[in-house]
Amino acid sequence: MLLAAYVGYVGLGAGVLQALERPAEVQAAQHLLQQHWELLANHTCLRGPGLQRLIEGIIQAYKSGITLQGNTTSLGRWDFSGSFFFSISAITTIGYGNLSPSTAAGRIFCILFALFGIPLNLVVLNEIGQLMLLGVQQCARRLEELFHRQKKASLLIKTCALVTGLLLFLLLPPLLFSDKEGWSYEEGFYYSFITLSTIGFGDYVIGMNPDHTYPGWYKNVISLWILFGMAWLALVIKFCINFLE
Amino acid sequence: KAMCSGKLQTGLLVAGYFIYLLVGAAVFQALERTAEKQEKIAAAQMKEAFLQSFTHLTVAEMEQFMKNLTEAIQNGVYPVGNESQTEDSNWDFSNSFFFAGTVVSTIGYGTLHPKTAGGQIFCVFFALFGIPLNIVFLHRVGKMLSLLCKKLGKFLYEKGMTKKKIKFLTLLFFLATGILVFLCLPSLFFQITEGWSYSEGIYFAFITLSTIGFGDYVVGKQPDRIYFSYYRTLVAIWILFGLAWIALLFNL
Repeated sequence: MLLAAYVGYVGLGAGVLQALERPAEVQAAQHLLQQHWELLANHTCLRGPGLQRLIEGIIQAYKSGITLQGNTTSLGRWDFSGSFFFSISAITTIGYGNLSPSTAAGRIFCILFALFGIPLNLVVLNEIGQLMLLGVQQCARRLEELFHRQKKASLLIKTCALVTGLLLFLLLPPLLFSDKEGWSYEEGFYYSFITLSTIGFGDYVIGMNPDHTYPGWYKNVISLWILFGMAWLALVIKFCINFLE
Repeated sequence: KAMCSGKLQTGLLVAGYFIYLLVGAAVFQALERTAEKQEKIAAAQMKEAFLQSFTHLTVAEMEQFMKNLTEAIQNGVYPVGNESQTEDSNWDFSNSFFFAGTVVSTIGYGTLHPKTAGGQIFCVFFALFGIPLNIVFLHRVGKMLSLLCKKLGKFLYEKGMTKKKIKFLTLLFFLATGILVFLCLPSLFFQITEGWSYSEGIYFAFITLSTIGFGDYVVGKQPDRIYFSYYRTLVAIWILFGLAWIALLFNL
């Protein structure tokens, strides 16, 4: 029974996404092909094989995370800040993938690192979640003492906590992102949710735009946001599950 | 006093967490930096070589072309070969189903991702209800698997083993069969179907089942290979049971 619901749910999502994304994709493909032909038309000496090799080379480079624009630069991606962010993406299981180990040793280390890091991360998130819950309960108790209405106070505090969490972790950060990353509000919201739920597609990643300058505190604040936001979202999902079961 | 030690414990935990992250960062940096440098040099050389063989292309035109190409690739459109490629969509039903699966399991490879605003918002709400559903579902599957373990335990108990030994043995058995079935055997399978090396297969299996899902390795995406029709479905079933196994492992 549950299996049917599960498969049905996934199938439903698939159908909707297909309907939403297919037209845009077709358009993009046609656009590219048009450019392809235009380029070939304008430069008739560009022959198939040479061009093909170039395209394959670019695809290869892209898969290694390198973009070939401008002069290939000093902007290292495996600098300390990048590696730190990568470590976070590994043990939180977000796994953006915009940066991923290409050496065999890096991959083996990644497996071992995650093998111990993921449980560590879960324990820490649990602790933070418990602290948050405790704080909310203490507030509820104080309010009870003040107003002598137990049920109402508890409900009020819980809604308050939910709304604050929502604001702090999902609704306000997109504003910061639209300022620092140039994303639209919707894109920032999408990024926030995809990150905090640990899905982490990697289509949007902070601090990756070579045309922007980021203040020093930026990545650190974001890391803290990820930590507390994940703990909060985990609590919310736990409540959802208790509700489902 | 108890409160104090509790807070100290939490503090140590958080400190340990950050130290762990820092150590990891340093190691990754050490391992990956040189390889990255070499890749960059190779890429620059390729670019140079191309520019030299087609000297009438101005640098600006070249940059523009590369930019367009990179954008297309980022959008999952690989313009290799002939236009027959446009008939296969990234968003056909089978791919969309696989995608939806990677969303609710929070694996999130990212090789396919919604680009329209509508698709992105739908994705958020889809995940909001899908992730708890997935967790509940895995829980149930895990329970079924644990029933098997209990049967094994009962069998051993009747044979006269101590409870402690039974617990240890069932855990070991569970761990060993799981690693075999969910990590070792699939990697052999992927060696054949994807052409990856065995260690790449293990890496892919681990990154997938841990739900990290970088997306550097994804099944069914090699353009020069033919996959039999239920390949992705089979892989999806593997992922499902593998995740349930891991969830159960945590409970044991």
